[in-house]
Amino acid sequence: MRLLLVEDDRMIGESLRSALRLEGHAVDWVRDATAAHVTLASERFDVVLLDLGLPAGPADAQGPRDGLDVLRALRARRDATPVIVLTARDARGDKVAGLDAGADDYLVKPFDLDELHARIRAVVRRHAGRAEPLMVHAGITLDPATRQVTKDGVPVLLSAREFAVLEALLQRPGALLSRAQLEDRLYGWGEEIESNAVSVYIHQLRRKLGADVIRTVRGVGYYLGAADPSVPDPAAGDAA
Amino acid sequence: MNSIRARLLLSLLAMLVLAALVLAAVTYRNVLAETEALFDYQLRQMALTLRDQGEIAADQAGPLTDEQLDFVVQIWTVDGRAIYASRPHVDLPARALLGLAEVRVGTQLWRTFSVATRDKVIQVAQPVEIRRRLAAHAALHSVLPLAALAPLMALFVWWLAAGTLRPLRRLADALRLRDAQTLQPLPDGDLPDEIAPVVQALNALLKRLERALDAQRAFVADAAHELRSPLTALKLQLELLQRAPDDAGRRSAVEGLAGGIERAARLVEQLLTLARSEPGAPVGVVERLDLGELARAALADLHPLAQLRKTELVLDAAEGVDVDGDRASLVALVRNLVDNAIRYSPAGRRVEVRVSRDAGVPVLQVDDQGPGIPAADRARVFDRFYRRVTGDEEGSGLGLAIVRSVADRHRASMTLDDAPGGGLRATVRFPLRPAAEADNAPDPVAAGAPTNAPPSAFTLP
Repeated sequence: MRLLLVEDDRMIGESLRSALRLEGHAVDWVRDATAAHVTLASERFDVVLLDLGLPAGPADAQGPRDGLDVLRALRARRDATPVIVLTARDARGDKVAGLDAGADDYLVKPFDLDELHARIRAVVRRHAGRAEPLMVHAGITLDPATRQVTKDGVPVLLSAREFAVLEALLQRPGALLSRAQLEDRLYGWGEEIESNAVSVYIHQLRRKLGADVIRTVRGVGYYLGAADPSVPDPAAGDAA
Repeated sequence: MNSIRARLLLSLLAMLVLAALVLAAVTYRNVLAETEALFDYQLRQMALTLRDQGEIAADQAGPLTDEQLDFVVQIWTVDGRAIYASRPHVDLPARALLGLAEVRVGTQLWRTFSVATRDKVIQVAQPVEIRRRLAAHAALHSVLPLAALAPLMALFVWWLAAGTLRPLRRLADALRLRDAQTLQPLPDGDLPDEIAPVVQALNALLKRLERALDAQRAFVADAAHELRSPLTALKLQLELLQRAPDDAGRRSAVEGLAGGIERAARLVEQLLTLARSEPGAPVGVVERLDLGELARAALADLHPLAQLRKTELVLDAAEGVDVDGDRASLVALVRNLVDNAIRYSPAGRRVEVRVSRDAGVPVLQVDDQGPGIPAADRARVFDRFYRRVTGDEEGSGLGLAIVRSVADRHRASMTLDDAPGGGLRATVRFPLRPAAEADNAPDPVAAGAPTNAPPSAFTLP
């Protein structure tokens, strides 16, 4: 998944970025409210991790002053990207203000990485409208918590990046994801994108899960096909 | 006996007694003087009447023997033979002084009036005691109403004192009901003029206390908040170490952890330094110190950091620039100024520290070649935990707060300007004669000065 980390503290930011990358996420990290605002206005993320106590940034006084401002501006644009607020403010008033400003969840520093990962999974699940923690499609089961994938009940071993591609496709089975969109899921800023990496991961996934699981719309992107090839696939029509 | 009510009551009673005594004495004297004239006249009239009548009339014999008036009439012949005595038992001398006279017989003093005719001497005498008794009687009577009034007045004073002191009691009750956190002002409406100043002074004290308490609370909350960031970083770094998939990951995690621990230690140290330099904190030994030597010590502390950042440290110290103060906190002042200069300048620049006298005033100046601080932000950078937009350095946000706090305690002024070569110039000007002033300076805390007093207080232990 592609995450935006908004955190001004260098050490916390670096550690979180490393931890989230270990978990297979693509992480972009900004350190002030203005940068967060600009980034959120121009790019899409699966989850935003937002520190409330941010410096305003070098911009003029018109910009957002802190994390809450960033959050309000995001919601004012009717952007429903899940937001988990990370903050050292544990007063109840701050929690209420954060949630009321549109946060989906709230974590008080210092927190456990396991809890953070679980909450990220939970808000993504809720955002996708799923109640069950497992992602299931056409005989493929993906457990975001344990990072286990099975095909017809048989465990399949995937690399972190393969897992990320499959997870992205499983979030909205049938919906078309372009190569650029998948690259976004895989690489944060400053990470070198290997050329045709996405094609390689798709190839690996097809090898491990079966050739007909991931369909290609040539020149447009990829989608997860229906379990039964005879069933008409709506996405194919859309893509045409 | 320290009750206002009891004291009022006693004072009133004492005044009543005194008034009664004075009244009685005056009455006694007046009555005595009046009766003197009256009785003397009576004595004289009686004697003259007896002389003119030649004998005692029957109707006069009664009054003459009246015990109450105690007149004693004696008549002698010219040759001294007593021919009449109204009361023979009285041992008045058998001789008479003509006119008014006082005669002592035994313990009794008599007032006599004697007249002589051709053939006899008539003397009318009366004990002076009678007159005194009458005067005392009159005096007693004049005092009696006062005595009767005294209990009433005492009751009234008791009641009056209770009523007058009720606001004090209410005040005491209101104060007793408070806990340590209740610092709202006391109600000060409808108070007697004598008690209102007490309540106003109390309210002013409560306000100062509240400000001080708020400042303390804010400090603790800020400190806790600030400690949370390094702790969060430490926790994350530790978890990263536990999850590191390979040696390279572990190495980088250990490096991060070491950095995190160093940062937490530095923050705690800075918090302690700040707490020690806050107004009211006890001060170490105040001694005369060479400012150039202090700067040298601070720069030596910072040498490793300067090397790391490839910063050139330059010290230009004049000889014999002395200041009076606490060595540890003054070194902390210089160190924090230079530390900031190093941290917030790009690597490879120069930080210049100058120690000099400007018109006799010891001056410490630190110039860097960093980005400087916009004039609009200069006032705020002294606030503790205030950080401007972060560069790569994790400042504690306390450096300049410590500098300001130490400067304030040493009555030094602190200014930020543009350095001539670009960058920031921090200037600390120490007082001209710090020793003489500091020695006599009242402890601002002990003296109850408001916590937002002008930055001057150099607190001595």
